[in-house]
Amino acid sequence: MVNQRSKLPLMAHLVLGYPTLAESLRTAAQYIVAGVEILELQIPFSHPTADGPVITAACQEATRLGVSVSDCIEAIRGLHAQFPEQEIMVMSYLNRIYTFGFQEFVTEMKTIGVRHLIIPDLPVDSRAAEDLRDLTISKKSGLSNLNLVPVLAANTPDPRVEKLLAMGFDFFYLMSDFKITGSGFSLHPRLKAIIQKIRAHPSTNLPAVALTKEGHHSTNHPRIGIGFGISTPEQALKVVEDADVAIIGSALIQAQNAGKLTEYLESLRQAFNNQQFETKH
Amino acid sequence: MNQTAKTYKDIILNTLGTFGGSNSRQLAGAVGADRNVPPPSATELPYGGTYIPEVLLPSLQEIAAAFDHFKFDEGFLADFADTLRTFSGRPTAFTPLPRLSAEFGGAQIFLKNEGLNHTGAHKITHCIGQILLAQRLGKQRIIAETGAGQHGYATAAVCARFGLDCTVYMGKKDYERQRPNVYWMELLGTKVVAVKEGSQTLNDAVIAAFKDWVANPDSYYLLGSAVGPHPYPAMNTFFQKVVGEEIRQQCIETTGRLPDYCVACVGGGSNAMGMFFDFLDEEQVQLVGVEAGGHGTQPGEHAAKLRDGKRGIFEGYHSYFLQDGDGNIAATHSVSAGLDYCGVSPILAYLADEGRVKFETANDEAALSAVKKLAQTEGIIPALESAHAFAYAFELAAGLTKDKIVVVNASGRGEKDLFITMRHFQEENLKAYAQHLLQHQK
Repeated sequence: MVNQRSKLPLMAHLVLGYPTLAESLRTAAQYIVAGVEILELQIPFSHPTADGPVITAACQEATRLGVSVSDCIEAIRGLHAQFPEQEIMVMSYLNRIYTFGFQEFVTEMKTIGVRHLIIPDLPVDSRAAEDLRDLTISKKSGLSNLNLVPVLAANTPDPRVEKLLAMGFDFFYLMSDFKITGSGFSLHPRLKAIIQKIRAHPSTNLPAVALTKEGHHSTNHPRIGIGFGISTPEQALKVVEDADVAIIGSALIQAQNAGKLTEYLESLRQAFNNQQFETKH
Repeated sequence: MNQTAKTYKDIILNTLGTFGGSNSRQLAGAVGADRNVPPPSATELPYGGTYIPEVLLPSLQEIAAAFDHFKFDEGFLADFADTLRTFSGRPTAFTPLPRLSAEFGGAQIFLKNEGLNHTGAHKITHCIGQILLAQRLGKQRIIAETGAGQHGYATAAVCARFGLDCTVYMGKKDYERQRPNVYWMELLGTKVVAVKEGSQTLNDAVIAAFKDWVANPDSYYLLGSAVGPHPYPAMNTFFQKVVGEEIRQQCIETTGRLPDYCVACVGGGSNAMGMFFDFLDEEQVQLVGVEAGGHGTQPGEHAAKLRDGKRGIFEGYHSYFLQDGDGNIAATHSVSAGLDYCGVSPILAYLADEGRVKFETANDEAALSAVKKLAQTEGIIPALESAHAFAYAFELAAGLTKDKIVVVNASGRGEKDLFITMRHFQEENLKAYAQHLLQHQK
């Protein structure tokens, strides 16, 4: 059987408001048309404490332009209206959500239909996160749930991985190695063990909807994305040998800065198409 | 009253900022008056916490567990006390300022001379505490941030003393304006990295240090103030509280009683917490923190967090931060690099809300004038940071009766500020000296 993927196994990241809000929305549309599985939209913050120089510069430029949290919410609302089927992950440092108001922010995300929320400076089992999770579960019909996304690293101890698995998250973001975003590519050897643990976890409480994806494992397991330092198509291919999606951020911004975004997205698409050709034989 | 006061020390050392942090209802309640949430109880503090990337959690938990163990360990505490005495020269002097007191005609002013510590400031106290902890954890590499360079210099010294590899991050602006300390750090074998991101000050140095730690989680991050994620605020307060303990004993020996006022400058808050902690339970001792008023009251012109800051969560902790209305961190300014920082200790945020510590500001000019006043009247040159405390204390003392006692923490000595104060007081001499050096080089 020919493995016909409708989507590229990629999560493509961008900073809302960089280089301008309008241009970032055009870029998002370009990612979607290229077929990325998940679109990751970062709300810019003046001091992104866990990002490398490329994303930091993009954030600082967007905040210099005065892009507000409200601007970002409206931009996400517009994108979702235009591409209602596109799976969206929103990323924000905690202070911007805190200042906006947890409840207000989460309500906006759920109303829009954003699937995932990643907050890099909030451990997902802290008390603040637990309360945030309460807010994310929709009791009103017609609103979808919003899922917090844990970020695991090679030093996350086994018992903690098990604890987070038991909490029922539907997506795990794995750091490729000990590094900041946009560094060189490497995969820490312990990731395989963490991935096995996640794959082996029976997540019966996870919704099967939208998790179906051919060529990968059974549907009711949490999905896995690996990010930090992925820039070439070969690296992305290597990553999806184990993960469901490869997460690309800094490299996309660099391609955009160099005016080569179309070519870069095309090189990724071709790499995945060729791989499907090879696996057929 | 006494029962309420009694809890301050307990709360700070045992409850503040445990790993759970605050829950979002408390946080939401803290944001704006329109959200009608009752204030948090004394045992559930809204400040502190551990708001950091997951990858740093194991390292922080390791340090927190070690601190929780060793803070009760007699061998560790004896080692700490012995190193403070033999390496740093504790106890530091408690000095009456009779000429200044007479000139202002008010309260009797005393100076706690933390500048007499090895490397020139109180900073070495928590560096010794933390390096002994790092040593017991078997750490080989130390990371630190520094503003004025005093914490970096002290970290470099203890790393050399204990044979550990050391990298210090310093904002490029601070790197330029505190060049003497850069030189001392490098002489001690430390790698000093000038951080070119952002406003190139302490804030950016902290972020760079955290990024290094993310890439090297086996290293020990020797954070240099009572800020950051748990356990740093409580841990650095615990190590620094020796300052207040010495003041208590010295003030009683000298005057027969406790001070009426303790005054300290506040950047992150390590010297202030060191001075204040031992007096928290005695409400007759008034505690005053002096922030940097800079050269104006507009955003970016000062570093007065407890005057103009809003509650926020940044660099791992919940406290007051100078920021815009939409959650972006604001630029700061102070003539003193050590006070030029956007956040403040979550412990001081709590004590400010409680009304236990009062906060004032002193501007750049007042601090520079205080350096000269103290130098020429009492023969002591304070660091520009500490000079903010003196600028306010002089005003305070002048308005008090002669039977009152005001103690000011001279958190550091002023030699590091050579090129800043010289430019201000003797610009011609500075230029002549620079020309002389250049000619000599040729």
